[in-house]
Order: sequence, then C-alpha cells, then structure tokens
Amino acid sequence: MSPLLPGLILHWKARLQGRRGPSPLQPYRELRRLWSKSTVDVAGTTVVYRLAPALVGACLVAAVGLVPVSAVGPNLGVGHDVIVLVGLLALARFAAAASTWDVANGFSLMGASRDLTISVFAEATLLLALVVVAVVTGTSNLLGMIAGTAGGAVWSSPALPLGALAFGIVVVAETGRQPFDNPDTHLELTMIHETPLLEYAGRDLAYLQWAAAARHWVVLVLAAQVFLPHPRDVWAQLALLPLVLVLMCGALALVETLQAKMRVLLAPRLLGVAALAALLGVIARGVGGS
Amino acid sequence: MTAVLYWLASAAIAIGVVVTLFAGQWRRGLGLQAAGAALFIAAGFATLATGHAVGAAFTSQLTPRLGVDRLSGVFLATLGVVAAPALAYSSRYLDGSGRGRLIGALTGVFVLAMVGLLCARDAITFLGSWELMSLLPAVIILVYRAADAESRRSVFIYIAITHLGGVGTWVAVLLLAHAGAFGTAGVVGPGSALQIGIALAALVGMGTKAGLVPLHAWLPRAHPIAPAPVSALMSGVMIKLAVYAMIRVFVDWLGVLPTWFGVLVLAVGAVSSVGGVTYALFQHELKRLLALHSIENIGIIVLGLGACLVLRAHGDDAWAAFALAAALLHTVNHAVFKALLFLCAGSIERSVGSLELNRLGGLLRRMPWTGGALFVGAMAIAGLPPLNGFASEWLTLQALLHVVMSGHVGDGTAGAVALAALGATAALAVFCFVKVVGLVLLGPPRRAHVRDALEVAAPMRGAVAVLALACITLGLVPGLLVSRLVAIAPWSGDAPVHAGLYVPGTGSLPTVGIAVVLVVATAVLIVLRGQRTPPAAPTWVCGQPVVPELQWSSAGFTKPLRLVLEVVLRPRREIDVRTHGGVVTELAYEGEVPNLIDERIYRPVARWSLAGAAYARRLQSGSLGMYVGYLIGLVLVVLIAGRIGWLG
Repeated sequence: MSPLLPGLILHWKARLQGRRGPSPLQPYRELRRLWSKSTVDVAGTTVVYRLAPALVGACLVAAVGLVPVSAVGPNLGVGHDVIVLVGLLALARFAAAASTWDVANGFSLMGASRDLTISVFAEATLLLALVVVAVVTGTSNLLGMIAGTAGGAVWSSPALPLGALAFGIVVVAETGRQPFDNPDTHLELTMIHETPLLEYAGRDLAYLQWAAAARHWVVLVLAAQVFLPHPRDVWAQLALLPLVLVLMCGALALVETLQAKMRVLLAPRLLGVAALAALLGVIARGVGGS
Repeated sequence: MTAVLYWLASAAIAIGVVVTLFAGQWRRGLGLQAAGAALFIAAGFATLATGHAVGAAFTSQLTPRLGVDRLSGVFLATLGVVAAPALAYSSRYLDGSGRGRLIGALTGVFVLAMVGLLCARDAITFLGSWELMSLLPAVIILVYRAADAESRRSVFIYIAITHLGGVGTWVAVLLLAHAGAFGTAGVVGPGSALQIGIALAALVGMGTKAGLVPLHAWLPRAHPIAPAPVSALMSGVMIKLAVYAMIRVFVDWLGVLPTWFGVLVLAVGAVSSVGGVTYALFQHELKRLLALHSIENIGIIVLGLGACLVLRAHGDDAWAAFALAAALLHTVNHAVFKALLFLCAGSIERSVGSLELNRLGGLLRRMPWTGGALFVGAMAIAGLPPLNGFASEWLTLQALLHVVMSGHVGDGTAGAVALAALGATAALAVFCFVKVVGLVLLGPPRRAHVRDALEVAAPMRGAVAVLALACITLGLVPGLLVSRLVAIAPWSGDAPVHAGLYVPGTGSLPTVGIAVVLVVATAVLIVLRGQRTPPAAPTWVCGQPVVPELQWSSAGFTKPLRLVLEVVLRPRREIDVRTHGGVVTELAYEGEVPNLIDERIYRPVARWSLAGAAYARRLQSGSLGMYVGYLIGLVLVVLIAGRIGWLG
C-alpha cells in the first residue's frame, strides 16, 4: 500500500504546477521495472554493501508491522512500542550510511552526512512530540496512544495540538519533502534520505525505494491515527484512514508546491521551533493538570 | 559457597600477579588472572540472582570489613566480564620484557583494587581502595610510555583533577561515617543540611571520577595513552565504580533526597551525554574518540540515576526501581561494548601502527574477526536494535517518560528536556559510529601498510569475539538481567522474569521478537534478491574517475554538524594559499574544534591558582628566624583560642 502515497503526492504536485503528471500508480510500475533488472556490484566492497538494502527493507518491514492502523492491531512479534519504532528507523539510517562509506562515492557520502546531521534534530523533535502524546494518554504503546487520543475531549487542551504541529514538521523532515529536501531530483545536494540509491540497481534499488515509500506510510499513519482527531470505534477508524491519508498526501503536495527548499544548515532551526512547540505542549499539560 | 568462590577468585588473581611478575611462564600468570576474573563473573551473578549477601555488613566503625551484596555482585560480575577478556588479550598484546610483565602484574593489582572497593564495608577500606584504584592506572601509563614528556603531563593532569575533585568523595564518606550513616539508611534526616552537604560533596567527588562534565578533562587525556586492556578496564569499569559509589550514597544511605537534587543530577547527566558525544564526533584519533564517548555513556547512566531520584522524591517507588535498573543495565552494557571497542582499537594499533582515522580503511576485509567485532561493538554503542545498547537506552527513555508523566510542571519539563537530550545523543552516537565504521573498516585502504595489514593472534581475536557475543546475548535477553536488577533497589521486591523488557502500564520491548523478525525479513529479502552475480565494476560516482586522494576524511563527514553548531563549538580554521604568478601552487588547511571547557574554565583557574601560589611563596623566605617566628605565632594563636574557648 505504501508506494501509493508518494505516487499520490507526485501526481498532485504535478497537477498544482499545471502539468498532467504521472499516475498515482507509477511507483508500482517503477518497482516492477526494477524487479526485472539485474543488480550491480561495486569493486572493493564488503558484505555491508550487499546486505544494506535487505537490512533497510527488513527494518521498514518491521516498522510497518509495528505501527497499527487502528486501536486494535495484531502483535507481529515486534510489539507496538513507539520508541522501538524510532530505533528501527535509526538502524535503517545506519545501514544506508554505512553502505555509502563502503562504496566511497563522494556524492552519497555528502548526502549521508547531511541525513545524519538532520536526523540528530529530527529524532529529538520526534521524541518530544511522542512524549506529548504519551503524557496525554499515559502509555508509550501505540495501541494505547490511538485509543487514548480518540474522540474530541483530548483536543480541548493545547497540549495535543502543539504536539501535532511539532509532528507535522517532523513528517516533512522524515519523508524528505520540501522545505527539507527535494525528492524529485537525484542530485547529491538535494538528496537526504535517498543517498545510497546512487550505487544500487535492480532489486536492491527496488528495496530502497520501497523503504522510502514505507517511511511515508509509517509517519503518515502515525499522524492520522495519533495526531489528528479520530473516532473511537475501530471500524470507523479503519474506514476513515484511507480518506485521511489521501488528504494528508494532498496537504504535503500543497506544502511542497508553496515552499522553496531551505538551506540545509538552517533546517535544524525549523526542527528546533517544532521541538519548542512540543515542549510547550508538555508544559501546558503539566500546568493544565494531570 | 559464594564466599569460597570470591576468595578463590581473588587468590587466583593474586597468584597470577606473582607468576606474571617473577616466573618464566608469565603468560600462564595472565591466564590465571583471567581465570580468576572469570570466577568473579560466576560469583557476582550468583549473588545477584539469589540475593544472599556474603560476608560482613556495612559499618560506620573504622575497622576493615569485607562483604558482598547484590549491588556489589552485579558490579563484580561486570568487572569480571571486562577483566577476563582483557587479561587474556594482554597475554599477546604485551611482550615478554620486564616492562611488559610489570604492566601485566599491575593490571592484576588494578583489578584487585577495584574488587577491594566493591567489597569494602567500612570507610577505611573504601577510601583506601578508591585511592589505589586512582593511582594504579597512572603508574601503568608511566611504565607503558616509559615516562615521556607527554605522558607525564597527561598523568599529572589526571592525578591533579582526580584528587582535587576527589576531595568531595573523602568529605562525603567521612561525614557519613562520622554521622554513623555509612551503611545504614535513615540516620541522616531527609532535607537536613547534612544530607544536602553530603549529597553535593558526593556528586562532585564521584562525578569527577566518573567523568561528568565539567570535571571530565582528565578522561580524554588519560584513557588514550594507556595500553589497550588497561584502557578497557578504565573506561569499562573504573568510571562505573564511581557510579557504584553514587548509587550507594544517593540511593542506599541518604534516604529520600529532595526533588531539586534529582533534577540537578538529570541536568548534569544530560549535559555530559550531549557534550561528550558532540566532542567525540570531531575527533580523528580512535582512542580519544572512544574516551570522549565514555563521557556520553556515563551521562546516560547518570540520567537513569537522576530519574530514579526524582521518582523517589515523588513517592513513585516502583518506577524508581525501574529507573535504577535502567542505569545499572546501561552500566553493564557499556562496560561490555566499550571494552570490546578498546580491545579492537588495540588490535588495530598493533597491526597497522596508528589509530589516525583518516589513515585507515578497508580493515573489514584484512582483519575479519577484529573488524566484525568492531562492527558489532559500534552498532551496540550506537544504540541500534536488537543489540544491548538499545535495550538499556529504551529502559532509560521509559524511565524519563515516566518522570514527565508523573511529575509536576518543573520536573516534567526537566524530564522532557532530558528525554530530548537522550534522543539527540542517540542520533549523534549513530553519526559518530557510522563515521568510525566507515573510516576504519570500509572503503578502500588509504595507506599501503593498511592494505597489507594482518589479523592478530588468537587470544586477542578470541577476547573480542567473546565480548561481541556478550553484546548480542545481552541484546537478546536483557529481561533476565533486569528482573534481578529491579530487586537491587532497597525498597522493592522481585520482578517477574521475561526475556524481553516489560514495564508495567506502558509499551514493551520484545527483544527476541524484534531480532527474529529482522533476521527473517533480511534473509527473505536476500533470497528474493536472486543469484544473478554481475561483474564487479568500479564505483560509478556519476561517471567521474575515482581519485584516491579525494576520499572523504573525518572532518569532511562531520562538517554539516560543525557548521550547524558553529555558535556553540566555535571551530577554528586556517587556510594558507600560496600562489606563483597567479597560479595556486600550494594549499594548506588546518582546522580544529577547540575544547572550550579547557580554554574557558580550566586555563583561567590554573592561571589564578599559580598566581596565588606565587604570591603565597613569599612566605617561604628561607630565613630560619622567620620560620621560628611562624611557629611561635601559631602556638600563641592556639593558646589564645583554647583560653577563649574556640576549641572544643
């Protein structure tokens, strides 16, 4: 399901820019094309280069299995803890960055260093946003978080809206959308999450592209089911989810069209603003009464 | 029964020391010492599991007593887990010369001094072992480096800072013994001035030993110049014993400390962790990087300890026990992977000759055992699932989350800031160790002698392999250890035993499940990837030719972070361009990230102290008459004071 999300964003961005654009199903065709091509091997690399795409794919598979789509979800062995999710994303980032050192491609290394720099601030902000929700719902288990933020009562205090604002900025950072990154090109100067793609082809590249799409899925489902108002009933949540995801893809496309890419080294300031917003949310919750 | 094991282990180490120093078969002596350390592992874990204290209880009398309880047991086991591989490693790392044997023997005495500290049950043995534990590494460094100028200076700074800060330890312990509270909780009243005084003195004194910012300046100087197994012991165990002392004072003996003290401990831990890892990122020598990284991990342990204190002040005893268990779990985990990293660094130094990160590369192929172990250690220290670093960081994050959830506004905000700091630290650690792994193990070798590097001898390989295995095991089943660690807090009982980490009322960490899912998914994806093996081609790099001189360096990789944090770090840069007739002939670049605490705090303090000492030197006039005059004056003052009644 996840390749549909970047496909939708790309389609609407094109529409907003006055072009016809690719169909939302284009990423699926891309994956199928890559599946039938052969991989490449770089001379002088070790097992890290060969294993990295599979490991990144495995981490995102585990992450997709971790994030439930409603307040009731099966335990696929990885549990539902949100800190584990942050850890799995960190492992994927480590594997991708290690593979860039293995191929010693200067462009990939530049992208990897920027990715890791931004991740320092993005991870702190992500944790703070999740802390706001954890304080409101009293648990770090995602099932409990989804159940706890359901209904309209929790939205009356300013804590959760501030957390949602912070998480919104983190969503843009994690999916690699403008103003943090330009996902339409494959230049080293504008690639942050996509860095190891340069030296891979065929099924390896398919794994990495699917992993990027899965990252969209994970953060957007989290945003929909935790940081936006959602109903209490499980079936209503499931029915509403596709609509909310589509709306959020539209919102991301709008943000990308209206925003220019900001200078990479100024991106931490934006994340710092988001972190302050989340901290304010925590203070508001503490003052408001818990 | 366990008492017999402890005595046997100590005896084995003692005999091993003598054999190493005097006998012809000095390697057997080191092997005997390693066997003794291994016995400590068994005995320590046995004490932890059963909970039966061995030997004497704590006493405030100044008579030597030895005993072991649960907290000592877990630290003794950690000491064994680090010392056994390190001593086995030394048998090949050191040579058979007189100096090598002396270092081997002194390492054993160092281990015994640490055992003495952990088993001390009275103030005299405690302080005596504390001092011995501080002095022995200095001796070892001087012997190893043959007392050259640089090592003399580093050892001087180490001893000076340790003793200046260590005044706090002496003050705290002696005040406790004087009040009769050395070993007995509840004697010192909560909220009293004595309690706060002891707590602050202990924080300063033991914090210096642990390497908390701003008293950490000795750590990056002393750890890199010691021999690798001793660095492993210093970084893995010695600084943890300061944490042991802090846990004894803050958690066991002082009763419930006020909330602001817990927040102070949280603040110190957060600053240490973020500061330590940020400065570690910019190092280009592997051992110095690892030493600065130890500061970060001590910061994380102290964060767990701070969370415990804050939760205890709120009355949330169950969660305070979990926070303490988090700090102890990270202690054990950090000891294991830091020792692993230092021993691998020692192997690389033996095999290649230098640890300059920009001059290594490609060692995963040349030294598969050491390289693989270094990779596992790097992943563990970066806090990546499913290894042990992630488990203890997860538990610490959960404890801090509970501080935010349960606290009032002030503590909750402090907890949230600490949590954000820990998150940033984790991401910075990933950054740092991607750099280390990439520069040391991956990519093309950067110098000819690195291309021809050979793997090291079997004991050195075996030692690091055992530690890597310990990392993986602790990552898979941390719950077995945590269920016993929760029981260490004096107010709590036993917790149920699981393989993963389960805390009440919130999310859980199913370690085995995560490991299985990751391994199975990776295997499936590799199988699906297919068997088509294309011919190997050079790196594409967008069609450009690959130029070996243009490879990325450590400074280049961390440049974005250096630029983002420019205001805080104030990096310095000097570029020298020489032209001849309009054509650039030579370009020299020099950059550094200065150690601001050294420049802004230590240097002015040292300058003022020396100026004050120069002024006070005027008292030493050299004339006998003046000195007799001083003595008469002192006697007069004492007589007058006794007459008036100032002296009790």
